[in-house]
Amino acid sequence: MNRREPLVSNTKCECGHQNPVGTVLCEACGKPLDEKDRESADNLEMRYDGVARRSQRVNPGIIDLIWNFFSSVKIAIYLIVLTLLGSMLGTIFPQESTFLNIDASTYYKETYGTAGNIYYRLGLSHTYESWWFVTLLVMIGASLVICSLDRVLPLYKALTRQKIRKHRQFLTRQKVVLVTKVEEEPEVWVARLSEPLKKKGYRVKTDGGALLAEKHRFSRWGPYVIHIGLIIFLLAVLARGLPGLNMDQHLAFQQGEVTKIPDTTYYLKNEKFTVEFYTDDEMPEEFRGKKVLPKLYETKAVLYECTADCIDPSKEPKLSEVAVHDIRVNSPLSYKGLKAYQFDYDLTPVLRSVQPELVNSATGEGYGKFKLDMKNPQRTFQSGPYTLSLKEKYMDFGLNDEGQPVSKSPYPNAPAFLFLITGPDLPAEGQQYFYFPKQVDKEQFQQQAINDKLGGSGRFLELEVQGMSDVDFAESTSYLNIRVDRAMPFVWVGAGIVMLGLVLGFYWQHRRIWLNLENGELVLGGHTNKNWFGFRREIVSILYKVDVIVDEKSLDNGGGLA
Amino acid sequence: MGKARKPIQIIILSVILLLGGYAIGSSVFGGDGKPREGSKAPSFELLGLDGLTHTLDEYKGKSVVLNFWGSWCGPCVKEMPALQAQWEKWKDQGVVVIGVNVGEDQMTVENFIKLVDIDFPVVMDSGRSAVRSYGVSPLPTTFFINTKGKVDSIHIGQLDLDSLDGQIGKLVNP
Amino acid sequence: MSLLDFSSDVFIAAFFLYSGAFMLFTIAIMGRRWSGRKPEEHTARWGRIAFMVSSIGLLCHLAYFITRWMGSGHIPVSNMYEFMTFLSMMVMVAFTVIFAIYRKIILGVFAVPISIIVMAYAAVFPQEVQPLIPSLKSIYLNIHVTLAALGESFFAVGFAAGLMYLLRTVNFESKERSDRKQQRLVEFTLFSIIVIIGFLGSVFAFRGAGYESVFVRSNVTIDSSGQEDSTIEKVSYKMPPIVAPYHSETEVFQSFLGINEPLFEAPSWMNGVNAGRKFNTVIWSLLSGLILYGILRLAVRKPLGKAIHPVLDGIDENDLDEITYRAIAIGFPIFTLGALIFAMIWAQVAWGRFWGWDPKEVWALVTWLFYSAYLHLRLARGWQGRKSAWLAVLGFLVVMFTLVGVNLVIAGLHSYAGTD
Repeated sequence: MNRREPLVSNTKCECGHQNPVGTVLCEACGKPLDEKDRESADNLEMRYDGVARRSQRVNPGIIDLIWNFFSSVKIAIYLIVLTLLGSMLGTIFPQESTFLNIDASTYYKETYGTAGNIYYRLGLSHTYESWWFVTLLVMIGASLVICSLDRVLPLYKALTRQKIRKHRQFLTRQKVVLVTKVEEEPEVWVARLSEPLKKKGYRVKTDGGALLAEKHRFSRWGPYVIHIGLIIFLLAVLARGLPGLNMDQHLAFQQGEVTKIPDTTYYLKNEKFTVEFYTDDEMPEEFRGKKVLPKLYETKAVLYECTADCIDPSKEPKLSEVAVHDIRVNSPLSYKGLKAYQFDYDLTPVLRSVQPELVNSATGEGYGKFKLDMKNPQRTFQSGPYTLSLKEKYMDFGLNDEGQPVSKSPYPNAPAFLFLITGPDLPAEGQQYFYFPKQVDKEQFQQQAINDKLGGSGRFLELEVQGMSDVDFAESTSYLNIRVDRAMPFVWVGAGIVMLGLVLGFYWQHRRIWLNLENGELVLGGHTNKNWFGFRREIVSILYKVDVIVDEKSLDNGGGLA
Repeated sequence: MGKARKPIQIIILSVILLLGGYAIGSSVFGGDGKPREGSKAPSFELLGLDGLTHTLDEYKGKSVVLNFWGSWCGPCVKEMPALQAQWEKWKDQGVVVIGVNVGEDQMTVENFIKLVDIDFPVVMDSGRSAVRSYGVSPLPTTFFINTKGKVDSIHIGQLDLDSLDGQIGKLVNP
Repeated sequence: MSLLDFSSDVFIAAFFLYSGAFMLFTIAIMGRRWSGRKPEEHTARWGRIAFMVSSIGLLCHLAYFITRWMGSGHIPVSNMYEFMTFLSMMVMVAFTVIFAIYRKIILGVFAVPISIIVMAYAAVFPQEVQPLIPSLKSIYLNIHVTLAALGESFFAVGFAAGLMYLLRTVNFESKERSDRKQQRLVEFTLFSIIVIIGFLGSVFAFRGAGYESVFVRSNVTIDSSGQEDSTIEKVSYKMPPIVAPYHSETEVFQSFLGINEPLFEAPSWMNGVNAGRKFNTVIWSLLSGLILYGILRLAVRKPLGKAIHPVLDGIDENDLDEITYRAIAIGFPIFTLGALIFAMIWAQVAWGRFWGWDPKEVWALVTWLFYSAYLHLRLARGWQGRKSAWLAVLGFLVVMFTLVGVNLVIAGLHSYAGTD
């Protein structure tokens, strides 16, 4: 890498101060150290007050070279630009992470054609998890640390050890300069000027006819505070990935059920899920009858913590209630770092149990109800004089290729039960009876016909549900996103520090005025890191107080920018 | 600070290298926590059909064939005879076949076992905790775990008798 | 009269006041040579009037905002129309702040039109008050959107000042290669602005004429269980279709200038019927932009940059450079707070993840990185003047893409997505 400033071998200034390698302006008196620079009349290079960056040395070794690489602002800018371009690439097509269940190897080709296929093959479908993108972020992190370290220490030293009396060239080559006649006793005049300066918030130091006024130095630390904040932010993001600090799962919670949250000792009960839509009255005329806008998604949730018998699956866990919250989209349940967010819902009712009654279809006589659970049902039931033993159960009834009854899924979409009934007036080995709790299934799978075949012509028993009160189902299912993210506080602390640094750095300016009054001639130089316009205006108003009238523009020594 | 500069530089650079390596590594090589070939098989604690709780640790020192299945899944049904045959063949040589039923109730499982006529141990993952820790998505999925408790190989989809035999053989005599 | 009616009335008043203020600012600058008075006096006098008018406009705009808030029961930043009207208000706020610091009359000539264009763009979208969907019901809607818009508005003022700097400093007489390149780039920037005006012009012209043509396309997809699934997509063109959606049929075609069918069909990679419609809009915008540009060129008989250049005579270029930087420096922390930090806080509360690489989030980050690079280049690498001004111009392009382009081109989670 090439250096912008030539390394000067003789770094001793004529004022007697020995400067480190790489120094541009003498640390003590501010005189330019480079011969060529001394002859120039251009504005001085005031970045970091002309002090040497820590890493600059004459014969750099490998460590120094790596260090210098990351210490360069030029490299930092390249890294920023590369990250920017990389981020852009990732938005061309949706990222894989936006889909819950796709086969990426075919999805991109099918959806976006050849371009999509190339996109996938280049690995851009997961840009933000790719090795090169993460490497860029890591390098930015390294650059943040090293750039800051390399500059903040020398700058701190330079600013705490400022000399009041500066070399004339240092003053006249600032961007704000005034050279004028002042026929007054230097020390008296300087003392007189101190008053308005102090009123404007400057801290003033004098040394005979020389003066140094300075304010808002803290603004100079702004950029470094920002960088510290960013480092904390990046570290916190990295820490989120550590095992145990992070959990993220999407779970289904049926209304009315207590469901265990895996990997935790918590159980969550969805007491009621509500979805509301805006009525026509609440919608603008143009939308009525055309659009459906949701108004509210809400899960009334109760969180339980397991207190005993938690792990052993053969025992019922003992639960105690710890939190109650109505979970809405912008209002998650939160308990000791565990958060539950409203994510999705399904309004399909899920059957939990029915209470059918065994009836004699010939006489109409009923033999009493029994409760048939969909999950883990009892095996035998007694109904009057009859015993029903459950032989088979199918949650999602269907027939396989060989025509045998099977369950097509574990979900109670079309439950079916095969009973063996024994009792009076039945054959000794009992009578088989197929029962479909849902009316639609009864018709679709022809329960009547099946049972007629199984029970023969003399069949007289039926299972019937007498009313809706005998059917128990979960009206809906609420999908919640359960998260634990223990590193989040640090993410916010980092972001807060960044913000603090931004405010310090951008809404205040470090302003300094040096002046020297000798032999009736006043030489004034001023420097600020921002807002030269306001700085010049301030100097004019201060000088006006001591009857020195100058024009704002005349202070501008060219290039008064930034 | 002059003398201490180099050591400080080295310390800072190595911390960056360490953290950076971790960041890149964890983002590129999964980090989803699912077991892969060669990684340690996650432990589980599940209720068996015998009414007792079973863990992976019980089978320490044995080769384990862990088969995730559901009664409603066609290929699972079809591969059961092959699993039963291999169980019978290898059970005296320190191999255990364990069936993990995914999310069904005891009655369904019992009926199913009777129907397909198997007698290797079956546990019930009613809360799908093992499914989660093993990162199983389609059924059937079979994990071959060696005597050291490491995942030797993973088979997604229906197993056939020959390849199953080969894989168990590899597990017993690596 | 209901609050909402009053609200839209004062909004229109604000629009005309801004337009008036723009003309007055122009008179203040352009008229300084012709008026009998001394140029400075003329500029100061008319500039004062112009600023007063623009401030009254801003008050009307504020009244629109407050009454719409009261009338609808939620902060009016919840759809594209409301957001754009808010953004135009924030541009005026940013202009007023910067104007108060620097008192440069000329700034009004360039910054006020930005606000007017954004206001006109807002009117492209449906203006009805919509009730809030659950995900928008949050205090963070107020904070995140308003702060982000304010930060972006300072970038807009930075853009105006940057463009002014370029118009002031580019040597429009020179035939040298580097100068020619600068001239062409400035001309292209101005042309792009004219295309946006062309877009707005064609939208409102055809809307005023009540133009509509409709295309249908049936899509047959085969779902996982092997079932054929056919969906019919319908798209209504509000501008005469030069280009029809890929593989579509005409349902209604209102003839325009004797054209009775679309001239050609969109290429196959433009998926979806809306891509065809958007492509058609782009063609119309370019066409009307070109016509508008041609008329202007005929009127002034030289490149527009060269024509505007004398307007900026006598303006201190260093001041323009500083205004550019200052506007961005004021906007950057606000943007960071609004568009990134509060965005993350809201995302954490609503979705449980503070960052999800959603396109809108990524583009907010891209904007932030861009201005970070700008600041580093300026503060540490000494990029000032010309280069810095170009970055300020380019930066605003990034901002506009984040606000508008992402919604048009890339759909994402953000609720404004796909609004038009």
